[in-house]
Formats: sequence, C-alpha cells, structure tokens
Amino acid sequence: MAPRPARAALLVAGLLLALLAAGCGQGPSGAGPITLVFKHAKILGPADPVPGLLRRFEAEHPGVRVQSEALTWSSDEQHQFYVINLEGGSPPFDVMMLDVIWVPEFARAGWILDLTAQVPPAERDAHFASAIEPATQDGRLWALPWFMNVGLLYYRKDLLAKYGLAPPETYDELARQVRLIQAGERDPRLDGYLWQGKQYEGGMVNVLEALWANGTRVIDERGRPFPEPERAREALAALRGLIESGVSPPWVTAADEELTRRPFGDGRAIFLRGWPYALDLFELPDSRVRQRVGVAPMPRLAHGPVGAASTGGAHLAVSARTRHPALAVELVRFLTSDVAQRAMTEGAALRPSRPALYHDAQLIARDPTLPALLPLILRGHPRPITPYYLMLSTTLQPEFSAVLVGRKSPARAVQDGIAQVRHLEQALGR
Amino acid sequence: MRGGRLRDALVLAALALYAAPFFWQALTSVRPDAELLPLASLLPGRLTAVHYEVVLAKSLMPRALLNSLGVALISTALAVGLGALAGYALVRLPVPGRGPILLAMIAATAFPQIATVSPLYLLMRTLGLRDTWLALILANASFALPLVIWLLGGFIREIPRALEEAAATDGADRIATLYWVILPLVAPGAASAALLAFLFSWNEFLFAYSFTATEASRTVPVALALFPGVFEVPWGDIAAASLLASLPPVLIVVGFQRYLVRGLLAGALRE
Amino acid sequence: MASPRCDTSSRRSAADVADRRLGWLLLAPALLLLGGLTVYPAIWVIWLSLQYRVPVFGIARWAGAAHYAFLTVDSRFWNAAGVTALFTVASVALESILGLAMALALRGQQRGRRVAVALLLLAWALPSVVTAKMFEWLYHPSGGLVNFLLGGRAVNWLGDPALALPSLVLADVWRTTPFVALLCYARLLTIPAELYEAAEVDGAAGVQAFARITWPLVRPILLVALLFRTLDALRAFDIMFVLTGGGPAGSTETLTVYAYRALFQTLQIGFGSAIGVVVFVLVMLVAWAYLRLINRQEAAA
Repeated sequence: MAPRPARAALLVAGLLLALLAAGCGQGPSGAGPITLVFKHAKILGPADPVPGLLRRFEAEHPGVRVQSEALTWSSDEQHQFYVINLEGGSPPFDVMMLDVIWVPEFARAGWILDLTAQVPPAERDAHFASAIEPATQDGRLWALPWFMNVGLLYYRKDLLAKYGLAPPETYDELARQVRLIQAGERDPRLDGYLWQGKQYEGGMVNVLEALWANGTRVIDERGRPFPEPERAREALAALRGLIESGVSPPWVTAADEELTRRPFGDGRAIFLRGWPYALDLFELPDSRVRQRVGVAPMPRLAHGPVGAASTGGAHLAVSARTRHPALAVELVRFLTSDVAQRAMTEGAALRPSRPALYHDAQLIARDPTLPALLPLILRGHPRPITPYYLMLSTTLQPEFSAVLVGRKSPARAVQDGIAQVRHLEQALGR
Repeated sequence: MRGGRLRDALVLAALALYAAPFFWQALTSVRPDAELLPLASLLPGRLTAVHYEVVLAKSLMPRALLNSLGVALISTALAVGLGALAGYALVRLPVPGRGPILLAMIAATAFPQIATVSPLYLLMRTLGLRDTWLALILANASFALPLVIWLLGGFIREIPRALEEAAATDGADRIATLYWVILPLVAPGAASAALLAFLFSWNEFLFAYSFTATEASRTVPVALALFPGVFEVPWGDIAAASLLASLPPVLIVVGFQRYLVRGLLAGALRE
Repeated sequence: MASPRCDTSSRRSAADVADRRLGWLLLAPALLLLGGLTVYPAIWVIWLSLQYRVPVFGIARWAGAAHYAFLTVDSRFWNAAGVTALFTVASVALESILGLAMALALRGQQRGRRVAVALLLLAWALPSVVTAKMFEWLYHPSGGLVNFLLGGRAVNWLGDPALALPSLVLADVWRTTPFVALLCYARLLTIPAELYEAAEVDGAAGVQAFARITWPLVRPILLVALLFRTLDALRAFDIMFVLTGGGPAGSTETLTVYAYRALFQTLQIGFGSAIGVVVFVLVMLVAWAYLRLINRQEAAA
C-alpha cells in the first residue's frame, strides 16, 4: 500500500494531466493526398448528385480528395456553426455552401476569399443578376451561385378550374377565391392559404414579400428603416388579416416550409407559398396532388407589383484560411459550372442559377416546369444586401411575429422596429 | 400524525403521479413512431427499441455522454479538491479578511450566468479554449466552488478542535492533520458536495451551449437541445436521448439519496 | 516583560504567521479560480456594457450609457422585464404553496419514505433541458398527453401567446417544487410531536395547530427557500430557451433570453452585456431585500 501522501500526489498529477489533455482541441489532420473539405447541407430530392460531381472533380485532379461534410438542417444553426468556426481562426473546411444572405457578412468579416480575379466576367454574367448581385460586395465577387430559389404561389389547378378561377393577382382576390372554394367544397379540413409565419428567417422572407408587394421595403439604400411606414403598416395588417379572417389557419404563425408543404401535398390546402423544391415533391408518383398543382407569381397589395417574390438559394465560397486556395476556387467554379448545375437539376429538386439552362431542351424534358419558373425568377429580387442583414433580420423578426400572432398592432411594430434598427445601426457606426 | 398504510400508499401514489411526466417520457422512448403522432391510446400497442438504436448508433449522444461525463467528473474533482482546502483555511486558519472573503463567495453564487457568459465567451475565444473540455471544467468548477466551500466549511467546523489538538500534540503539522484527520471525517460531507457539484455540471446548459460550436464537443444538454430533425421532430428518439441523459441524475437520486439530501439541506439550512 | 512570556508570545506568533501563510496557500487556488471566472467577468461585463462591441465586424468603441438609454425606451426590454417578473412571481408563489403542502403530506409518512423522496427529487434532479423536452412533448397539440387527457382537443399550449407563459410556469414549478418541499419537510421533521399533543389538549387542532405551531416554525425555512428560488427564477434561462425559445412573439421571452439573443444571435456583445448587467443588478437587489427581510424576521423571533 503506497503511503497516502504519495497517492494524493498521484491524484493531483493525474488531475493536472487530465486538465492539460482537456485543453487540447482538435489537432490538424495528418499528411497525405491534398484533401479539400466541402461543407454543405444535405441535398433534398430524389437523388443526391453531389458525390458523383465530387468524384468527377477528383478524377480530373489526381492527388486531390474532396471530403464532403454535412451541415445541420436549420439555417440558423448553419450560420452559427460558420460564425463560430470562422471567427475561431482555423476553420476545418475549405469550400462552404452559404445561404446567399450571409455572403456580404462573411465578406466584410474577412472570412471568404475574393473571387473577382479568378472568375471571368463572362462566367459571372452567365448567372442570374439577382444571384450575382447579393454575392458582390464593394465591387468584388465573393461567392458563386450554386442553385437558385424563388418564392412561388402554389395553387390547386383542379380546384381553381372547377370554379372557373385564374390564379389571383392580388391578396384580396386570393382571399375571395379561398372563401368561394371553401364554401363550395364544404370540407372543414381544407385550409385556404398556407405560408410561413414562424419567427425565423423564413418568416422574415414572407413579411418582406408582403412589404414588396405593397411597394415598400424594410430598409432603403441609405440604411433608413421603413422609409414608407404607412405602406409597411398596411402590408403587415394584410398578413395579420389573412389569419384573422380565416383565410389562413392560425397555426401558420408557427409554421415553417415543411409544416406547410405537407398539408398542401396531402391536398388539404388551396394555396401555398413555397420554394421550388416542393414542386418535385408534389409530382412524385405517390403524391396526392400529382398533376394538380400550378405555380403563379406572388400576388400584390395596393401599391406594389405582382410577383414580388424573394430570390434565394445557396452559394459556394472559399474560406480565407484555406491551405489550397487555387484548388478550392477551382472546385467552386466546377460545382457552379454549366455541367455541374445540369447534373444537379437532373438529380435533385434544385434549380440552376444559369438562365441559359432554363431553355435547354434536355433539361426541360426532365423538368417541364423550368420554362414557367424562369419569368418568376426574373421578377423576384434578393433580400437587402448588407453585411448586417442577419442582424437586421433577427432584430425585426420578433416585431413581425408579434403582429402575426396579434400581440402588437402593425403601427406599433413598425415604430418599434424603426427604434430597434436605429439602435442597431448606432452600434454598427452607421 | 396518524395515518396508516392507506394514507402512506395514497401519498406514494400521488408522488408517483407527480413524477409521471418522466415515466411518460420513458414510455414514449419505447413507443413506435406510428403510434406517436397522433396519440391514440395511453399504452402502446407494441414496444420498440428502435429509438434507442438510432440514438446510440446514429446520433451524437454517445459522444455527448462521454463529454458530459468527463467534464462533470473532472470539474467535480477540482471543485471538491480546491473547496476542501479553501474551506479548511477559511474555518480553521487565521486568514485575514476571511469574513469578507466568505461574504464575497456567497455573493458570487448569486451572479447570474447570463451576465458572466459574454466576458467568459470572449475570454475562451481569446485563449483558444472553445470546444475544449477545459473551458467547461473551469466554468463549472468555479460555479460549484462557493457552494462546496460553504458546505465543507460547515462540516469542518463541526469537527471538535480537540481532535486537531490531539493530532498536533502527536507531532503532526497542519497539513498532516488536514490530510489524516480532517478529510476522512468530512468524507461524507465531501460526498454530498461532490454529488451536488456533479449534478450541476451534468445539467449545465448555457455555458456549454455558448462555448462549444462543433458537434463533437457538445455535452448532453446541448446535444439534446440541438437534436436534429430533418422534416419532423423525432419525438421518440428525443425521448430515448432524454432517458439516457437522465441516467446519472436518476442513479444519484435513487442510489445516493442520503448524501444528496444532506447536501441540499446543509446548503440551505446553514445560514 | 518577563522572558518566558516573551518567548511564548513570539512562539505563538511564529505559529500564527505559518498558519496564515498556509491559509493563503490553501485558499489561493480557489480564490484564483473564482476570481478569474466569476469576479473578473462580473467586472468585465460592466465594462463591455459601456461599449459598442461586435467582434464579427471588428467593432469595438466606447458607447457610454447609450445601451442603457436605449433600454429605457425599448419596448422589447420592458416586455422581457414584465415576463420575467410574472414568471418569477407565479413560479415562486405556486412552488411555495405546493411545496409546503407536499411537505405536510409527507410528514406523517411511515413507510416508503425513501421511495417518496426519490420520486420527489427526480423532478428536481433532471437536467432542465430534459424537462423542457419532456414538457414540449406533453404539450404537443396532437401527440401530447395533456391534450389527450383533455379529450382530444388540439390546444396549442406553446404556440398560443396567451397560453405559453402559464405552460412554461407549470413546467418550471414541476421542476423546482421538490426543493421547497424537501426543505420544509426536513424542518417539519424537527418539530417535536409533543407540541401538537399539547395543543390538542388545549383544544386546538387542525388548522389552528398549523397556524400556531407549524407555520411560525416553518416560515423561516420557507423564506430561505423562497430566497433561493426567487434568485433562480430571475436568472432562469434553460427551460424557457429550450421549451419556447422566448416565443411565441416574445410572450415567454425573459430578460435572460433577450440578453442571449442579443449576444449570440445579433452578435451585439455590448448591448447583450448591458441587459446582462440589468439582470445582475436586479438579482443583487432582490437578494439584498430578502436578506434584510430574513434578518428582520430572525431579530423579531
């Protein structure tokens, strides 16, 4: 039996060692072939084209391995992951998939590489302007578009046809059509208009679209919040009115994309605001609304245009701390190339960010909705392009959410929103 | 004060009902997905282990359990070790200003974590300690320390000075007395303090959430809070993960109840 | 001035000095840890609250009292303060009543005391995240036990702004009542049976016995429990963050959740620190008020 002080000393030593070991974070990976780490979210849809594309890149670049790593599903969590890792200094990835709204932020923070020199203007112009513009900051290009999204008004072709209706151009008309169809169908489980009203980025998108539909915006070029407060108030009141009048069920205030897509896909709603990926899911063989779904531009309010939908989508950027910048940029250019976007459109429920592909006969044969989507994408526009967009969004989301659940009047929300954004801008030194 | 068997049984039944949410979660963890939404009957038609399989094989919980266990054990050891020494010093040794020191320690227990999380976040960031066990160990130990010192100080104070004086006349110096006489006597009290410190560390969420970014470094509460669900929330899997997360607390409550209660009461009753 | 007395006193002071040094040595590690991770951050957060700090964009400059000035007119802050106050008062009130009732019921327990305490402490010992997930499932509109027991009505407990806060309070009360109950129970056990027997002889029983014997003896410990519980409720974060995230529409957003969102969602370290400092001051004030109350009670007793 060892003397007790010696055992105690051993314990202390062991504790110190444990503490030291605990202080070590992740060590660098070993040497070997050049490995690029590609961080991206799981691709929805029937088939995942990404592995095939990566193998193709590896074949064209011997000695290079591309390791694919998945991100979490939630956009907020993805952002937090990126911020914490990029801020920490040595992020364990080279190429990353970013939501377009994060690109100016990451560019301003110095976390992603300037791609302007490596991407010729012709290649840049081959993408939608509304996809390139948000990826440009201070005249430099920071990311390339990977796939495109736009807000769509889905509607039940069969139901509208049954009552001799064309897709509504105004919210008032949408409400009228909902009441007409609901009265005719007498189905208590048939909801009217489903959209995303939950307090998250998706909810912000829905509110932004309503603001644009009324000819106003949340922030102007000089950064002033709610430049036309009366129109903003009207837009918010219109959204709240959809719920109060029963055109939309009350649970939309807690609904995200999937919570609204499913009931519509089960045939339990007349209208849905959604992204293009849902279209493929509605046309699956076992879908209950197969062949009965149409897409239309988002309706307008009194002062705005039809089709004021938000564009979105994912972009690819290169980490500023990558050890293989040239290769990483090549990977980005490859994945956003004509060839790769073709493969993605064919394999997954994703739409290309290259307008030319929407006229491509081969692709149209696979996805006949492409020609209909093109004008809708062209009419859409991006969310405010500022490095502080996410801060703006998370600051305003609670105000909007309060209006949607009826806890605050639209006028009050606009007022409080202005105060909050001004305070934010004060902190940012603007 | 009379009551009899019936009364006792009724009280036990009422308490079992009180703990029903936990039992319901346990039931949920073995209920097949098809019977979860919507809920059709109280008892499931059949039992399934698939949720536990998913959680143990495909989720981050096993790694999180390891992280939590490591952090909790080490921070408890640290807190009790340092706390015993500090408690002895404050109670038995003529340290100047021990009154104010003790008062400051008590005040420190009231510091809200939300206030200290922002500077600590910056500190951990600067020191490069994000995603490490060390950051959480230090944070948890520092939060448990005042309570441990309070508890152990109280227990040490109860030891008659005569014992120490006897050891001194036998030729033992302070340290030897501390090691050979005091510590063995406060061992049960130290056990209580250790259990409380362990529970606190196991359950800690805010710092663990703020100081960790990667999936591999998450502790159990964080992994549970961020349990992934692609389309729908996997309630059965979450229930299984919750049960696993509850293992140490349940074991402590069932197996070490006496020590736990003693610690709780000593902490509160001793003013 | 006789030599023997000088010798003993110098010998004693030498031992004293050695003891003092040892004391500092033994105290130092703990003080270092506490100082570095509790006291130092407490001071630093005040400093941070006086700055515009957005690390992501490298913004770090003096703000003075700008954040605090904004908070005085910030409706979201006042909403959070109201929610915090409501949550605290409701939780603590319910816990005290329920806890005392449980303690009274447990007092007469002869058999199965260990099982009883185990069942009771289970709720207290579980991680708050586990409790939050548990109640989130219980409150689920279609899969939750609560709606099932209510006959299948699809009440949206956590999604309705009017119902979310009460639902949250219930979850927190479930989690923390055992602490109050245990404290009261332990105190009740120390009240000698003779007191009640004597009261019965005097003709006082039941409620009167409670008012004259039980209540005065249990009140001090209840106050101590309330102190702990009030401070905990003011600082509570885990359960509301995981259960509702502060929603819907801020109806469960306490000061702590607001501070967290400002810190880690909008990355405004300066502003978030200011809210944290407000919580800090609030907690300290309440603690001080409670301690005065307790001291006054003790002086009167």
